[in-house]
Amino acid sequence: MDDAVTLETQSGFGLATVMARKCATDADLAALPGIPFAAPGRCTGDTGLTTISIGPRAWLAFAASGESQFAADLANALAGKASVSDQSSGYVIFKISGAKARKLLQRGVPIDLHPAAFPQGSAATTVIAHIGVVLWQDDADDAFNLAVFRSYAASFEHWFRTVAASL
Amino acid sequence: MKPPGKLADTNRARLPEGGLIDRSRPINFTFDGKAMTGFAGDTLASALVANAVRLVGRSFKYHRPRGILTAGADEPNALVTLRTGARAEPNTPATTIPLFEGLAAQSQNRWPSLGFDIMAANQLFAPLFVAGFYYKTFMWPAKFWERLYEPAIRRAAGLGALSGLPDPDSYDRDHAFCDLLIIGGGASGIAAALAAARLGLRVIIATDDTMLGGALLSSTRDIADQPAPYWAAAAQRELAAFPNVTMLLRTSIFGIYDGQTYGGVERVSDHLPVPAAGMPRQRLWKIVAKRAIMATGAIERPMMFGNNDRPGVMMASAVSTYLNRYAAKPGARAVITTACDSGWACAADLVNRGIDVCAIVDTRPAAQNCAQQSPQFAPIRNSVRVFHHAAITTVRGRQVTGVTVRDESGQFHVLDCDLVAMSGGWNPAIGLASHLGGKPVWSAAIESFVMGCAPPGLVAAGAANGEFTTRAALASGHNAALAVGADLGFDSVLPAPPMASEELSGVGAAWSNPWSSGKTFVDFQHDVTADDIGLAVREGYRSIEHLKRYTTLGMATDQGRISQLHGHAMLADHTGRSIAEAGTIRARPPYHPVAIGVMAGHHRGEHFRPARLTPTHGWAQDRGAAFVDAGQWKRAQWFALPQDKGWQDTVIREVTATRTGVGICDISTLGKIDVQGPDAGQLLDRLYINTMSSLPINKARYGVMLREDGFVMDDGTVTRFADDHFFVTATTANAARVMQHIDFARQVLWPELDVQATSVTENWATFAVAGPHSRALLMLAFPHIDLSNAAMPYMGAGQYAWGTRPLRLYRLSFSGELAFEVSVPATHGLALWLHLMEAGNTYGVVPYGTEALGVMRIEKGHSAGNELNGQTTAADLGLGRMMSTRKDFIGRVMAARPGLVDPARPALVGLIPCHAAETIRAGAHLLPLNAAPVAANDQGYVTSAAYSPTLGHSIALALLAHGPNRHGEVVVVHDPVRGRDITATVTSPVFLDPAGERLRG
Repeated sequence: MDDAVTLETQSGFGLATVMARKCATDADLAALPGIPFAAPGRCTGDTGLTTISIGPRAWLAFAASGESQFAADLANALAGKASVSDQSSGYVIFKISGAKARKLLQRGVPIDLHPAAFPQGSAATTVIAHIGVVLWQDDADDAFNLAVFRSYAASFEHWFRTVAASL
Repeated sequence: MKPPGKLADTNRARLPEGGLIDRSRPINFTFDGKAMTGFAGDTLASALVANAVRLVGRSFKYHRPRGILTAGADEPNALVTLRTGARAEPNTPATTIPLFEGLAAQSQNRWPSLGFDIMAANQLFAPLFVAGFYYKTFMWPAKFWERLYEPAIRRAAGLGALSGLPDPDSYDRDHAFCDLLIIGGGASGIAAALAAARLGLRVIIATDDTMLGGALLSSTRDIADQPAPYWAAAAQRELAAFPNVTMLLRTSIFGIYDGQTYGGVERVSDHLPVPAAGMPRQRLWKIVAKRAIMATGAIERPMMFGNNDRPGVMMASAVSTYLNRYAAKPGARAVITTACDSGWACAADLVNRGIDVCAIVDTRPAAQNCAQQSPQFAPIRNSVRVFHHAAITTVRGRQVTGVTVRDESGQFHVLDCDLVAMSGGWNPAIGLASHLGGKPVWSAAIESFVMGCAPPGLVAAGAANGEFTTRAALASGHNAALAVGADLGFDSVLPAPPMASEELSGVGAAWSNPWSSGKTFVDFQHDVTADDIGLAVREGYRSIEHLKRYTTLGMATDQGRISQLHGHAMLADHTGRSIAEAGTIRARPPYHPVAIGVMAGHHRGEHFRPARLTPTHGWAQDRGAAFVDAGQWKRAQWFALPQDKGWQDTVIREVTATRTGVGICDISTLGKIDVQGPDAGQLLDRLYINTMSSLPINKARYGVMLREDGFVMDDGTVTRFADDHFFVTATTANAARVMQHIDFARQVLWPELDVQATSVTENWATFAVAGPHSRALLMLAFPHIDLSNAAMPYMGAGQYAWGTRPLRLYRLSFSGELAFEVSVPATHGLALWLHLMEAGNTYGVVPYGTEALGVMRIEKGHSAGNELNGQTTAADLGLGRMMSTRKDFIGRVMAARPGLVDPARPALVGLIPCHAAETIRAGAHLLPLNAAPVAANDQGYVTSAAYSPTLGHSIALALLAHGPNRHGEVVVVHDPVRGRDITATVTSPVFLDPAGERLRG
């Protein structure tokens, strides 16, 4: 594998699908303390809580720790405002980093990853090698996070290894 | 392989100096096993030319000897099989293969050898092979076609053959986005790229070649006061330094698609004997470009004369390329035949390289001949015999030994030569522009077709736009890039494009030759002659497209790019129309042949599609489980033990152990959907035929969904965990479809409902624990949970904790036994599985696979995929009474159509063979006793069948007309494909515990 790209698998994180309820306005959501809702195509937050836009008024909420409890706590905080489903086991989260991370990912995703088109803070729901991925880029080091449905992890890693070898 | 001789021996047609080859790097290769040497920078074709190889292949139909006609990707003749063994690649144009060490190429379509080909006798039967010969000759009797004619034709005609071995190499893909894609690396492409790069656009420039330059690499003229190849090399270096420029060398753009999407193939490793470790052979590029410049150049046309396909006849531009770029001599004594100034340029190149030019045969009268007047060609005029208003009638020799020329006065002259260079004018390479349906339009100014209605965002520049001179091409590319820049908001002042020295334009045409004697080819690769065109016209063909199909003109791998326009012009002439009126064809992708392998990319063999693995996959693998594909999922089919005699034994053991003790099955693949929100119950009422909004918290209910058309879509369970939180399951096969259906309903049909839905399939590992000891097992595993009938009744559910992990329990049964489904987040799935297996040790727990699961559900009469086949109604499946009459739901109206409520519709029944030893097979049809086995007597068919270990004989589920009223009747199970007919008794589909005492125990 090329040293210029590394693949790390995260563990112990909390992850949840958050879908705003119709009865909650955008202003209602914005007023909730401590929960930044990312704009469409964006991600926002910190290791305590990052939200990743995955559709109209829908997000993945990510925390570096907490597992299923994270979703339970979030559901309480958003009670009546949004529907929350635990996904802490639903996805494997890969972190792909290194000088050639962007080049490698571009081999897989059919969207433009040029820094001008996909700058820090961007998020996309897309596909790599017929495998659905939620992709977000939230740090300055050209590291990308990818949420892949758990059952596809082995196939995804096969794609990664194959392409990394050809960089 | 014989060792190569001395360099001098094997390069005897190599010029002593010049060319863009590296003489310090000799390269060994073989052609038909003969060892030869070339140099770095050669193509296979140029190395063959330098080795004085003239005979390279045999033609498709007549097996005529063929040589090298061109120096580019449109080569029709010099097709070889490249490499050997599994890497053998047939039909590769020798003109496109960069020479590499150890290259091995074989000629094609000859037997036993290239020089002596038995099939060449086909020429004697040429009258049989005329236009439409397939249709005419082999019409009758029809059965002879398959057995005799087609195999014989396939042996006789054709090109190279595939190795038949698996491709050992890999193929990759990549995606690119840009402001401007430049297709082609010649003068106009480079000028466009330089301008666009300086403006700051994101630029991609793609060229087939190993370097930028295109025709400049073969040019002897100057650009900005330096030799054209040097200028191109400097431009390439400059472009490489721009961060906003991506240069794709050895990359063909093969297609234009919707959304300004362009397909390309990068030949990453084709110039190497074997790809480097990890590297693909080729890479597929999907390029999305806001704008594109088609700088694809132009294709030189041949001349029409007898035997114009003989080895030694070559395009004039190709002769210049072999001389100037590769320092290789295509011949020692040349005759030029031309309809334009380009032939004269070739003559000048030959003379400059010291090669004897015996004559120029120009179709133009002297008075209309620009070259005749141009001071540039004064030295040629003085040293070379020129025939004006003249034509070659025929080529002499199997390989060129001379030509016969008819002069203006009607005199014939025989000239000795070994090379005929021909130039019949130029066609802009506009094939790509037709990919979205654009029709080429005739330009009288350049006597060819140019791009008509362009694909969105695309413009043509340079020779592809009919601007044939280097000077015009440079300006054209430069200005096209400026226009794109201005359009996209990149405005700045740039220096003017570089100037090239003056030259003549190359416009001219000679579409037919009345003096031609001998076969005159208009399609070299498909062996279509001028006579074939005439014959097709006499038989009534007038349309270009019909002519194409009837004669196969332009249908070979080169798509007839060299000469099919001659065929179109001849059709126009024969039918009394202008070329503009007759028109030309519209090209379709791919522009050049593309290997299927590069389209497949990494998705081959076991990686054809991604695999989905359950939480217990590794454990099951370790236990030696057999796996079965359920969509993308790999599911354990059974867990064989060493003492099992076969899979049937294993399944019987798993079923028996479960029915008498306890078994565990991984059912994590079932679709799982969280449906939440204040209107969740209302939405589910509209999706299911039965009512879900009345479901109490911590209760589950079986449900059926219909499609709009009234047929069953899927079944599953709904569990309510809170007023506003339902948990829906779907079958493994339909999981994605049900998710889509729910999203469609809530987003499109009823956006006013406040309901959210998301797939949680992957979040939960779920295991079925079934059998009389299942409760005891779970009480041991989870001593803190009350699993008594009172606390957890049949169809009950609850959320608990297992340590710090959430745990969900459902009392559901697919097997008909006392059974539970246990769920934890999938990360902990394997831990739960091991925990359950350990707790189950006391009770002799077995893991069971999908086969035992299937047997048990058939015994219990549950419908599954075989019955939910998209053609059954709820009533067909015995579920008609579930359909609520007090609410509306999707499919309700259409389910009431007469055809869907017909009592004669086949409906679910059970079948038991009248003789217990006999086997019923799924797919067999059901007939009344003593009825003839004809379709009119067909009353239904067997959907699912199994050997029931519990009952000790074969059982089956079937759909039978009037089935529910026919319990006890004997029917014939008709299985003409796999066995004899047997008789079976119709029963209730529920073979086991019809009262449901086991599952409520």
